[in-house]
Amino acid sequence: METPALRLQDLCFRYSEQGKRNILDHVSLEIPAGKITVLMGSGGCGKSTLAAVAAGLYPENGGFLASGTVELFGRSVGELSIPERARLLSLMFQNPELQFCMDTLRKELRFCLENLNVPREEMDGRALAAARALGLEEQLDQKLHSLSGGEKQRAMLCCLTVLESRCLLLDETLANIDSGAAKELVAQMVRLRQEGKTIIAIDHRLETWLEAADEIIILGQGAQVLARGINRDNLAEYRELFRQEGLYYPEKPHLKAAALPEPAPAVELKGVSIPRAVEKDRWGRKTVRGWLLRDACAAFPQGRMTAVLGKSGSGKTSTFLSVLKQHPYEGSIFIRGRDLKSIRERELFGQIGMVFQNPGNQFVSQKAEEELLRSLRLWERDLSEEAAREKALALLDSFGLRPWHRFSPYMLSQGQQRRLAVLAVLAGRQEILFLDEPTYGQDRRSTDAIMERLRLKVETEGLTVVFITHDRELAAAWADKLYRLEGQKLLETRPEDLFEEAAL
Amino acid sequence: MKLEKLNPSLKALTVLLCAIELSFQYLAGLNTAVFLVCLLLLIFCSDASLKTALQILIPAFIAALGLFFMGLYYARGNSLTDAELSGLSSLPYAVRAALSTNFGAALQLATRLLAFAGLGVLFALTTDRELFLYSLMRQCRLPAGFAYGILAAVNLMPEMVREFKTVRLAFRVRGLRPGPFSLGPVFTMLVNSIRWSESVAMAMESKGFSGEQPRSYYLRPKVRWYDWLFCLGALGAILAGMLLLPK
Repeated sequence: METPALRLQDLCFRYSEQGKRNILDHVSLEIPAGKITVLMGSGGCGKSTLAAVAAGLYPENGGFLASGTVELFGRSVGELSIPERARLLSLMFQNPELQFCMDTLRKELRFCLENLNVPREEMDGRALAAARALGLEEQLDQKLHSLSGGEKQRAMLCCLTVLESRCLLLDETLANIDSGAAKELVAQMVRLRQEGKTIIAIDHRLETWLEAADEIIILGQGAQVLARGINRDNLAEYRELFRQEGLYYPEKPHLKAAALPEPAPAVELKGVSIPRAVEKDRWGRKTVRGWLLRDACAAFPQGRMTAVLGKSGSGKTSTFLSVLKQHPYEGSIFIRGRDLKSIRERELFGQIGMVFQNPGNQFVSQKAEEELLRSLRLWERDLSEEAAREKALALLDSFGLRPWHRFSPYMLSQGQQRRLAVLAVLAGRQEILFLDEPTYGQDRRSTDAIMERLRLKVETEGLTVVFITHDRELAAAWADKLYRLEGQKLLETRPEDLFEEAAL
Repeated sequence: MKLEKLNPSLKALTVLLCAIELSFQYLAGLNTAVFLVCLLLLIFCSDASLKTALQILIPAFIAALGLFFMGLYYARGNSLTDAELSGLSSLPYAVRAALSTNFGAALQLATRLLAFAGLGVLFALTTDRELFLYSLMRQCRLPAGFAYGILAAVNLMPEMVREFKTVRLAFRVRGLRPGPFSLGPVFTMLVNSIRWSESVAMAMESKGFSGEQPRSYYLRPKVRWYDWLFCLGALGAILAGMLLLPK
């Protein structure tokens, strides 16, 4: 039999030597070479840790390996030097921002080649060839931070191909990019498989991979293999397991029933144009640099959930910021019939709350409970300290966070962090809530948990929710009303139309 | 011959040695000359933006002016009393002050600051920071792990600025009003930065980077004869000034 690309034997790993819980619990796994293998598992099951251990990043950078061996193409990972390891396996991460150490792709590619001790004369040729293969020639000298999320991931892939690693391990690489860019990346993976590379993809979404994958493996708690040998032909047999593990089963999307007659809008845009950026010259004269949105009309109904879809970089977040008076706009925006221009910022933030992409950005204290108390003290001054505490705990309970009330927000899992962020914003009785990319860093189950709780608040308390996302299934499953931002226009769409076009 | 062509490490060494040399002398004229030469070199022998140079030098001028007046009125030693004793007490205060030896000391302090500023700007504006790091690795044996760590941090700056803006906005949306120096957003940023540094370090390692293994270099800054010429010339010129210029 051919040597497997990756062989894990009886692997036990935890973050501290004294820790009781094994993140990886006696894992044994073999992944064949030359195939595309998709590893799936719910959030917190240890699949990212598995990737880091397989790539030799742990235990070298932290954690404790209690037992077990890792072999890459038949060679023990501990005996390999870092450059040797990179030739066998390299890793691609979820966050496109934090993968580069140089400022342009050309320099980053040189950096990779230097690491492998490639002679200087060969560098330019190899870098150019890799960029050409991925259609990134024009981006070679652009600043990396100015590229879109999809382009950044493609740039990262370009770095890995220039390393000529025999195996690529993708750790949730498609999670933060829109489906068009994701499809393109998967197409590249198929091309790489033809060249004989091994692809291991860790993901909690399957549909983008389904056509390309040779085998799908489902991991449970402690990264134990629950089932393997799954492919697109026998997928249906595992439907129950998918559900049980809280994984997203690819099927015809569940569409929300048509909503009742529409109530009055909570937020209304009338002929709104939003510039990409406005530059002031030294005399204070303003010039507009490009438009994100032109002449848009939209109504976000009160007591309903509305989704705004669009590619990354199309201006969804800027639209939100305009409604929060943090980004310039032209035209008129009405909040419950009142012109936004006549509302003072403080009063506005008393009505509208926003949860940002990275919930870690908006914590203001070092204790979960304190997060809510801060908001309560600010917005409900007449509440006594006792009553505020009680209310905070009740709120935490309603989102299943009560046991963690003394924990630092940063110690919670990604899903818990987002729930806490939503709560902290809602504690001030804001009646309109903006959510920016609620799927960011989350698996399906925790996203659904948040949406479910928000839906309850929408139905019982008349909360208005507007969320922006690139995830069509999420939008179709939860929103009463859908808008799509495309080509500087904001168009209302029906959920059924979303899935007819191939690319969004 | 542009200053940008000089080897960054040797240029840094030259500037440093010049500054040390200057601190052993008390000639306002030499200080001024060094400052003017630096300016002339910036204007005629480099591609540096003069606007940036001015932006850095204006605060230096203000500091020099402050130092000048401080030295003039508050220096110890030969102070106003000398002038008073010599029978000039009928003159106005400012003139007396100007005539006293304090004037010399003050001028000397102020011009020295300007000379240092000139040397600093000369180096900073004609040196590419990446090339400087490569040169430090090559000529001064700076560990690669350290150098690339700095590069990665510098290149993360735009991302950090963006993140900081978001954090501040997130605070405001929650009804808090962080002042320009309040620590709340800074703490949040620090927590994020630690996480970032971990991710970047892992990404670098996954691309085969290790501080110990031999690596090739695309850019290989060399020290050539004209680098030494520049270094020795500059030091020699200042030494000559120290010996030849009148006290």
